[in-house]
Amino acid sequence: MNLTLHADSLTKYFGAVHAANSVSLEVHAGEVVGLLGPNGAGKTTILRMIAGILTPDSGTVYINGRALAADPLAAKQVIGFHSGDTQLYQRLNPREALEYFGRLYGMEEQPLSRRIAQLIEELEMSSFAGRPCNTLSSGQRQRANIARAFLHDPNLLILDEPTNALDVVSGQFIVEAIRRQKAAGRAVLFSTHIMGEAEYLCDRIALLHQGSIVDHGPLPDLLERSGCANLTDAFLKNIGVSRPGSAA
Amino acid sequence: MRPRILYTIYRKELLEALRDRRTIFMMIGLPLLLYPLLMIGMSRLQEGQEAAQTARSSTVAVWGALPADIEAAIKSKGKVELVAWDGAPEKVRAALEMGQISPPPTPPMGLDADDTPPKQRKMPDQPWAKAGQKAILDRKTDAVLILWPGFPQQIAASQTAVASILFDSVRPESRKARDRISDVLRVYREDLLRRRVAQRSLPSGFAEVIEMQSTNVASEQRKSGMLVGMLLPYMLIIFSAMSGFYAAIDMTAGEKERGTMQTLLCAPVESLEIITGKFGAVWTIATIATVVNLLSLSMTFSRIKLMPGTQMHMPPSSYFIAFIMLIPISLMINAVFLAVGAFAKDFKDGQNFLTPILMSLLVPLVVTMTPGIELNGYLAFVPVVNIALLIKGVFLNEWAADMLFLVMLSSLCYASLALVFAANVFERNAVLLGGREGFASVFDFSRRPGQKPTPGVSLLIFALVLVIAFYGSISLLDYGLPVLLLVTQYGMFLLPCLLLIRLKGYDFRETLQLRAPSWRAVAGAVLVGVSAWAVAGGLLVRLLPPPDSLVKSLERLLMLDEKPVPLWEAWLLVAITPALCEETLFRGLILSGFRRLGKWPAILATAFLFGLAHASIYRLLPTLALGVLFGLAAWKTRSIVPAMICHALNNGLMATLARSKGLMAELGFAGAKFVPWPIIAVGSLVCAAGLWLILAGGRRQSDTTA
Repeated sequence: MNLTLHADSLTKYFGAVHAANSVSLEVHAGEVVGLLGPNGAGKTTILRMIAGILTPDSGTVYINGRALAADPLAAKQVIGFHSGDTQLYQRLNPREALEYFGRLYGMEEQPLSRRIAQLIEELEMSSFAGRPCNTLSSGQRQRANIARAFLHDPNLLILDEPTNALDVVSGQFIVEAIRRQKAAGRAVLFSTHIMGEAEYLCDRIALLHQGSIVDHGPLPDLLERSGCANLTDAFLKNIGVSRPGSAA
Repeated sequence: MRPRILYTIYRKELLEALRDRRTIFMMIGLPLLLYPLLMIGMSRLQEGQEAAQTARSSTVAVWGALPADIEAAIKSKGKVELVAWDGAPEKVRAALEMGQISPPPTPPMGLDADDTPPKQRKMPDQPWAKAGQKAILDRKTDAVLILWPGFPQQIAASQTAVASILFDSVRPESRKARDRISDVLRVYREDLLRRRVAQRSLPSGFAEVIEMQSTNVASEQRKSGMLVGMLLPYMLIIFSAMSGFYAAIDMTAGEKERGTMQTLLCAPVESLEIITGKFGAVWTIATIATVVNLLSLSMTFSRIKLMPGTQMHMPPSSYFIAFIMLIPISLMINAVFLAVGAFAKDFKDGQNFLTPILMSLLVPLVVTMTPGIELNGYLAFVPVVNIALLIKGVFLNEWAADMLFLVMLSSLCYASLALVFAANVFERNAVLLGGREGFASVFDFSRRPGQKPTPGVSLLIFALVLVIAFYGSISLLDYGLPVLLLVTQYGMFLLPCLLLIRLKGYDFRETLQLRAPSWRAVAGAVLVGVSAWAVAGGLLVRLLPPPDSLVKSLERLLMLDEKPVPLWEAWLLVAITPALCEETLFRGLILSGFRRLGKWPAILATAFLFGLAHASIYRLLPTLALGVLFGLAAWKTRSIVPAMICHALNNGLMATLARSKGLMAELGFAGAKFVPWPIIAVGSLVCAAGLWLILAGGRRQSDTTA
């Protein structure tokens, strides 16, 4: 498998806070890697650095073998980034927002129209594609936002808690959309709080705590190393928290 | 920067802004409603009040003996009801009737030469004055007319009789009562004086001595221009800024609050493209608002009278020039708004950040309201004040092309600084993501080896150097031209340029193109250097001939204030020094910054800034042309040396000619306004040959380098 993403020793400080401490990660084409960590563990900071919207204090991000810092625009061209902080313009409708981002990604008008139509159909957005974003429900907004991240057919998808605050049905819809991207050979790096999602989607999982990766590997390896029966226990054990009622 | 991306961002920002009711209201609704409501409302209110005062009768208390003929005159005039001793305390009445009190002394004559009425006398600390004040403040009467003891007798005896009118200037009805009584007494006095003169058979001018006639030569346009010029800059700048205010907050802090800023940063666009696109949209909104403001104001002014008998009649060209002058100030204000707005976390925060900036505009704008302050060379470099005073000058029809150029130049410099600042803020992703990056980090000049100058750096250094050089040179005027030239060139042009290169960690050799040129390029540079003046100074000066004052000041510069210095010293000061310093700045750092724009845009942009730096509209074309020649030489040879040779020879030759009257006469210049055509023709041929050599030399060197 082709190595799409290689993050090497990423470090970031915000004042005295060590948000990322020499984090290294790899994601190959057709692979889903999950980033699991409690709130404040540094997931969003790491994903932002990998997406090229935050500059690391040290360390290097390689996208398709090329350093991101050497040509950030070319790297962003092959990255699709989505997080809870990436919203769409409230006074535009999803179709207009997709047209806008398509042009920013340098897509020609006709292929862009075809791609938008395809995404509207795939993500079942036709009923609200013409309505201003500020009138949409959370689930509808999330789909439109996912469509924006998929729009330019990127090699690497970086999704920061994509199912956060969604109901089960909408969340499942997004999870299936991610599976389809994996099946299409995209490299996917995503963070989540939902262990079930990680177990279902991820080929490999990185457990993050206080800005450092404390364990990393396929799910069976993580369980074996932690001696736990499920991912939740393995996660809690790795970050030094015991489940209420369980033996210390 | 990619035009397609810029246009995409610009179009989207404008579309979103135009779907925002607040922006539309501030841009179109407010100006359309405000001026008519404010002006016509105020005008109607004033007229209504005036009519009400005229219709109402005044009640005047009369303390003292009023001669019957004066009483009859007052009554015949109408609208005045006289009430004897109304509100007068017994003690005051008794004192007046018994002749126990006397009027306050007559103050010495003032020397006010204008038409304004003399200052009201201060209220004396006397019981009669306090009693009058109480009667008026208690609304028992509108005014009190005191006829001092002996009033009728003094009139009868042809002496001076004294009357005092007490009134409350705050109450319009009290002022009206004062006016009515004063009018009658003035007419009575003049009539009485005529009668006294006639009785004594004195000549008719005996009592008048001199009849003063003052005539106001200001035309109606000037009178209304003064009023419009006082109000208009203030209103236009504030309202134009206010319309950009909301859009700027919405596009920065608003985007952060709505979470769309990060979405934009995910896309493959440069920070400079984002800020430029957003800036274009904010500026378009501010410009539309300015146009609507001007239209609304001009229509309102054409329909109202701000002062009785004054019609606001301004030619449309004045409004057009005012619009043109608002362009640089709106560039500057909106760039500052965008940059500062980017630090705010949300819309409310943005309002808190930007409101002080908006309010701070009021301070310099008050200057336009101050009579007597006019635009000069110093004020032309004071931001906001310069534009406000120039707009005022346009409406008074008092403006000069050179001053307009200076104001536009300095304002564009400040606008460039503000834009570079805004772009620098947008380069800090942590600021845009709402991180903890502080305000001070934007001014971070830490060295980043390997970096290359950008167009933003070019604009920054140009604007900085120009402003420093302007204010620096003012403080050096007393030290004479040689010191001024040396300090300005080395200390204010060369030093900041070298410091910036060092601070930013640029490669000196690469940035300043420090390479030895080919001999062919040197020969070409010599030919261009000795002939460029004939093309630039001869041909282009014919298109826009400079005024005599500029020609004289240039001659003064070339002659070094007529100081008897040897020619080599003149060459050092006006040829070699500018060639070294100005070329390092312009064809060195500035051209390097523009390099990424491509050959011709870079050369032309650098030449344009070089032309602007000479701070005169009449020198713009010749210096721009020289800048193009120097830039082409630097670009083609990849060395700054040929440009320096051209520059030094061009200036040196001009200084030599200025000092050699005999040579000038031989060449046919003596007394001629322009360079003769044969000289221009020969100069053009030599210059073309020099250029050919430079281009050929440059190609050879490029081939070698490749």
